Amino acid sequence: MPQTPSQFTELPPIQDSLITKSSEVELATAKDCLPLLANPEGRLNSFGLPHLNRAGHITFLRSNLEDLLPRGFTAADASRPWMLYWALSGLSMLGDDVTDLRDQVVSTLTPMQNRDGGFGGGHGQLSHLATTYASVLSLVTVGGYAALNLINRKTLWHWLGHMKQGDGGFTMCEGGEKDIRGAYCAMTVISLLNLPNELPPEAPARADGVETFLAKLPEWISSCQTFEGGIAGAPTNEAHGAYAFCALACLSIIAPPNESIRRHIDIPALISWLAYRQCAPEGGFAGRTNKLVDGCYSHWVGGCWTLISAALQSEGSADIWSREGLTRYILCCCQGSAGLRDKPTTYPDGYHSCYVLAGLSAAQNVFKFEVDEKLLGVTPGTAAYGWTTVGQANVPGDEEDRIIPVHPVLVVPFERAAECRGYFESKIGF
Amino acid sequence: MSYSASPLWADIVPLPQDDGPGQPLAAIAYSEKYSEAMSYLRAVMASNEMSERALDLTSDIIALNPAHYTVWLYRVRILLTLKKDLHAELSWMNPVALVHLKNYQIWHHRQTIINALNNPDGETDFISKMFAKDAKNYHVWSYRQWLVKRFSLWDAGELEFTEQMLKEDVRNNSAWNHRWYVVFGRGDEAFADPDIVMREVFFTQQSIRLAPQNPSPWNYLRALARRASGPAALPLSSLQPFANTFAPLSAPDAVKSTHALDLLAEIHSENEADKDKAYQALELLATRYDPIRANYWNYRRATLEGVKTV
Ligand SMILES: [Zn+2]
Repeated sequence: MPQTPSQFTELPPIQDSLITKSSEVELATAKDCLPLLANPEGRLNSFGLPHLNRAGHITFLRSNLEDLLPRGFTAADASRPWMLYWALSGLSMLGDDVTDLRDQVVSTLTPMQNRDGGFGGGHGQLSHLATTYASVLSLVTVGGYAALNLINRKTLWHWLGHMKQGDGGFTMCEGGEKDIRGAYCAMTVISLLNLPNELPPEAPARADGVETFLAKLPEWISSCQTFEGGIAGAPTNEAHGAYAFCALACLSIIAPPNESIRRHIDIPALISWLAYRQCAPEGGFAGRTNKLVDGCYSHWVGGCWTLISAALQSEGSADIWSREGLTRYILCCCQGSAGLRDKPTTYPDGYHSCYVLAGLSAAQNVFKFEVDEKLLGVTPGTAAYGWTTVGQANVPGDEEDRIIPVHPVLVVPFERAAECRGYFESKIGF
Repeated sequence: MSYSASPLWADIVPLPQDDGPGQPLAAIAYSEKYSEAMSYLRAVMASNEMSERALDLTSDIIALNPAHYTVWLYRVRILLTLKKDLHAELSWMNPVALVHLKNYQIWHHRQTIINALNNPDGETDFISKMFAKDAKNYHVWSYRQWLVKRFSLWDAGELEFTEQMLKEDVRNNSAWNHRWYVVFGRGDEAFADPDIVMREVFFTQQSIRLAPQNPSPWNYLRALARRASGPAALPLSSLQPFANTFAPLSAPDAVKSTHALDLLAEIHSENEADKDKAYQALELLATRYDPIRANYWNYRRATLEGVKTV
């Protein structure tokens, strides 16, 4: 069995002597992870890492969906569409067919769709961009016309028009906060459902001369890049991994990444920031400078590299990041007996299961973006459909540790994204 | 007492949760108390009721589930419509915020209330209490930025505050971000002010000396060099002697900071005659001092070679 490289079994060679709160928790985390990286236990693959516990994770996510969740989950009562999306998305990546859940997904989400067109976190809850995004992606992930037809596209278009702001950004809900998640969630939904780029006539942003969803949006995203090179949730806030993905993915929906990301992002500064988020000795990613490694950034930061490669048009050239490190962190440190987790000291949950697996998809696969001339120019927001999987990356995993590639921008199964977009392109009017 | 037994609520027909026609997914075993309160909430929201009793209902639900954005948004509308005492609202929400720090509805709510009060008194003290519990909380720092801008608190001890936070933990990157905001957030003029830029260089270099492997001040320093302009311009190469003290390329065993090596690689790559030194720094990073980023350092090397051939 191959020897584990020492960078994953020892602390990095340079350690400052000054101890602060940050360095204390960082050292503690490294000490929690080192034994799991150096001496993995259980059924090991041919690289000496634990196998992907596919059956355990499927059981965990199925139970998240199908069992009655205990009272402690009341805090998630405004996030039930997310619970659906995380589980459905995770199951799809694990190769578990979720079409048997289609009717239940439709039935569960039906009362959450409001008359104004958006989806709330539950019945009687206000429309919110995050839960609208999660609801739409859940329906897309189970697929089929019965699921897609649940969405009232025309009223949703009107509601989205109220979220668009005069400066180009989006608020998460009426009277809510404005951040880059709003931009990503809105553009994902608009693109998948083939909604018109024109703002509805009553949209308040029209008063500021903003007439389309895309107007001033790339500039607004650009203004979120910080002095560190990373991207913040809103201008001047701290650079954060989740927002980096939202920004790059949103730009990759707006136009081909080699145009939009190049034009609106300082790429060398961002690459440096992203590269520094990979943690040693753990191999996984942290979300901010001097913060701890966390499984969910496997996607939020790990997923950025595919989009960066497309921006640089360097697919197929040498990687800029360590796929091996991420794979090691995921297989050794993020797997509980069932479900995936932030780090060894935390419990698995749906959110981390989904984004750890999406990160594994980013580590295991090489994606390529090609401009589809047929699509381009038809409607803005078609750039997301130029992606294909071109091969498997060289990572320490066996065939049975491979998961099904997830769409690098839309984070739904490839064929489901195409099915949804195709269906709504074939519709005339709403 | 339950809502159904209360005479105050006798005129309301509760709206139970519609779980859809089939077996619902991700269903939660709510407590009876929560279910009932939510049924009354749906009913009063459906008629857009703005009343004392609806306000009390939102307090009850927030106590049971503070992550409920709908309740917070409804609550603030009631408060503003009924012209309630917003100071009382702050006293009510302070303990909630201290317990549920990560909940960002609370911070958005607070922002709306303070904005309406048009008075930030006591807010920075309250925020300090929050930082004592979690010094890197994203929502709290965002809220602090908003507060500084909204009430023009730039010179009201904000710089000293970041210094204090960094004294406690020089690796607190949120505090570094806030410092950048306080110093340069008012406009680009500060980038051209030699006094300001030199003060920041000094502060940053002092911080690096405390812990040379701390990325935060190095990021800050590089950004200073990138952005400082006019009479305050700070060429990257001027940082070479400082970086050298932490990563002498002539004594590769004595490297104390990968960030110094990174900076030296960048400085030397600006000069064709020094490219070999840039390669050496990148090589040390890739093979010896920072192998997790070996691919990145090799990419930087390839970028340099690319420039060379042009
Ligand atoms: Zn996480």
